[in-house]
Amino acid sequence: MALTIEVVQNDVHVTITLAGDVDTKTAPELLSKLVALELNVLEQLRLDLQAVNFVSSAGLRAIVFAKQKMPHESTLYVIGASEQIIETITKTGLGNAIKIVESADNI
Amino acid sequence: MELERIDNIPTETISGYRVRPGKPLPFGVSSVPGGLNFSVYTSAGTSCTLVLFSRSEMSPLAEIKIPDHYRIGDVYSIAVYDLDYEDIEYGFRIGGPFEPDKGNRFDPTNILMDPYSRVIAGRDEWGVDPDWDRAYQYRSRVAFDDFDWQGDSPLEIDDAKLVIYELHVRSFTKSDTSGVKFKGTYAGIVEKIPYLKALGINAVELMPVFEFDEFENSRTHPDTGEKLYNYWGYSTVAFFAPKAGFASSGRFGMQVDEFKQLVKELHKEGIEVILDVVFNHTAEGNERGPSISFKGLDNKIYYMLTPEGYYFNFSGTGNTLNCNNPVVRNLVLDCLRYWAAEYHIDGFRFDLASILGRDPWGAPLSNPPLLESLAFDPILSSCKLIAEAWDAGGLYQVGTFPAYGRWSEWNGKYRDTARRYLKGDNDQIGQMAQRVQGSPDLYQSNGRSPATSINFITCHDGFTLADLVSFNDKHNEANGENNSDGGNDNYSWNCGAEGWTEDLGIRALRSKQSMNAIGMLMTSRGTPMLLMGDEFGRSQHGNNNAYCIDSEISWVDWSLLESNRSLYEFTQALIRFRHQHECLRINHFDHHGSSHFPSCSFHGTTPWKVDWSPESKQLSWLMSCDNIETGLMDAVYVATNMAHYATWFELPTLPNEYKWQLCFNTGDSDNPCQALPVDFSDSGILAGERSLLIFTVSPRET
Repeated sequence: MALTIEVVQNDVHVTITLAGDVDTKTAPELLSKLVALELNVLEQLRLDLQAVNFVSSAGLRAIVFAKQKMPHESTLYVIGASEQIIETITKTGLGNAIKIVESADNI
Repeated sequence: MELERIDNIPTETISGYRVRPGKPLPFGVSSVPGGLNFSVYTSAGTSCTLVLFSRSEMSPLAEIKIPDHYRIGDVYSIAVYDLDYEDIEYGFRIGGPFEPDKGNRFDPTNILMDPYSRVIAGRDEWGVDPDWDRAYQYRSRVAFDDFDWQGDSPLEIDDAKLVIYELHVRSFTKSDTSGVKFKGTYAGIVEKIPYLKALGINAVELMPVFEFDEFENSRTHPDTGEKLYNYWGYSTVAFFAPKAGFASSGRFGMQVDEFKQLVKELHKEGIEVILDVVFNHTAEGNERGPSISFKGLDNKIYYMLTPEGYYFNFSGTGNTLNCNNPVVRNLVLDCLRYWAAEYHIDGFRFDLASILGRDPWGAPLSNPPLLESLAFDPILSSCKLIAEAWDAGGLYQVGTFPAYGRWSEWNGKYRDTARRYLKGDNDQIGQMAQRVQGSPDLYQSNGRSPATSINFITCHDGFTLADLVSFNDKHNEANGENNSDGGNDNYSWNCGAEGWTEDLGIRALRSKQSMNAIGMLMTSRGTPMLLMGDEFGRSQHGNNNAYCIDSEISWVDWSLLESNRSLYEFTQALIRFRHQHECLRINHFDHHGSSHFPSCSFHGTTPWKVDWSPESKQLSWLMSCDNIETGLMDAVYVATNMAHYATWFELPTLPNEYKWQLCFNTGDSDNPCQALPVDFSDSGILAGERSLLIFTVSPRET
């Protein structure tokens, strides 16, 4: 399934809304959108995964990449991820870097 | 102005890919700006082609013949640009002569796995039948080192303070009774960490986790039709890669992260991780086995061969890795350094380690370079190095393994003596006295310490503890080999009936014998090791070699934790007791003892007087030291009566300011361990038949 990526930037945070599958083929598209941001000064990044069915290891690594580029005190929210995606994030230890919330209202 | 680097610019295009001559080190695949560096060693190969695949594809994406001028010495290396790291799988074709009688087995039609592969695809989920039509089965991938360790590092627990727990990743939580979500995986162990912490152990020793193929020599049981596997995994495919099928995220290719998460979470709770590593042979078998990697890269270098080109078989499994060849030695060193540095592994237990001390023709070396290199390696300097100090070729080195002051050993003599004493064999008192004090007969004269001795009564090889006290003979029919496999020297006793019985007396005796065994183990000097589930009576139904069984026979049945609660609580209390009493953990043989008692003294039914005769079945040991901080004496007195009748034991006399306290009595079936130590003022105690009692001392209130 194709991946659509929408990037909305406001004063304090960036929201990236994804729809589709983040697999080995589409993960580079996400990575290129992330690279295009000024990650080194970004205080808050929100990744909205409500319309995402599957995130491959490549997709998860793109997320880890973003967090590692961001300042130490910054926050990366993953919003509305499916149970399977949350499980994969948790059991592989990637959950330390990010905050998982059900919706943007929980932020 | 920042100068643009020009040392990473591609110099030519081959097969449509931009490339340049690579760096010969490190071996395997590594990142360079804009690309990947591939490096592989072959001393007798005459050509090398890098074969690239898109993930899981049958046909290669590209074949890049590495130009001969890219070769430095015996190493081909190439940097390839613009690759999708996440998607790429790769292997090599090596040209050269196919002359088995001269030891060469080159075959460029075969695609070979990189021996330095850090991730392997192709066996992503446990037990899923592989597609054997694939030309390339074990597929090298690229690993990432972006794991967030959050400040974790190896724990470096003092050897003398360790209590090791041996477990098989899949067996530990595969059963539904485990109650975990991710059954049979690394993540499943994480779910059980609270249990391990509560038990009190502080190291897990994981049976092989290097990528192996459960389908190697898999077969069907001739009678039952049940599928039999290479279940234990003592047959390595890839030394640098964690087994994907043990990761619940293996199908996403995230086994590296899941395994690191396991190590990190265990470390958080103060539990070290020791890996059982198998360097004595590989999964390539003998001349009839598959050519996965080493055989096609440099057969003569990696394996011990007869002059006719056949494989020496000191491992009993088909081939023998040529570990004292300098190239192979470096591979082993690189591998262990990688696991120590990249995965924060705390120690290694070497399967059939005596093979690592043989020369290329199989003769034992007096100063084996590999063992010496490992002992003095700067990166491994804090890692535990534990030898299984024998091999299948008849070399038995318990007590004589070349240790360089660093190696400890699985003490097979401890196991055999403790088992024989437990079942009431004659002629065991003298041996038992040696084993209890850390086996000075084996380790003192060469300057080693008690913790050199890894004491165990059971391990994955042989009976579980419950089976040790329930079976006289092995019952390996489920293995499909007519009960001919597995050892026959079990030194086991079934307590009166073979296998399961309704006889309450026999069952009670078995429970007591299990406690007696754990009591001896936890009050002996040296490093104790428990087998998973022994603390609550795990059974393999008499199978003493379940290497091929992926079923309830091997899986830990966690419902036993409730039904054998008293054994669990006894074990837990004894581990805690061991941690509390320094006198049990003294780690040098010349320790002077406390101000009142020697460091370790032996007694019989009468204090200071042991009956050393062949028929004797009673032995007591008293261990003692002074607590430097409190100035008080620490002492533990253990009385064991392995006779079939009750016997009176006089206790050694204490100085006036101390009193005895009874902590454990396996003869008291209602109350084998005291919640709080009970003051004991009598001069002696009647030890029940086949019983063990443990006392400690407490200062009298003045």
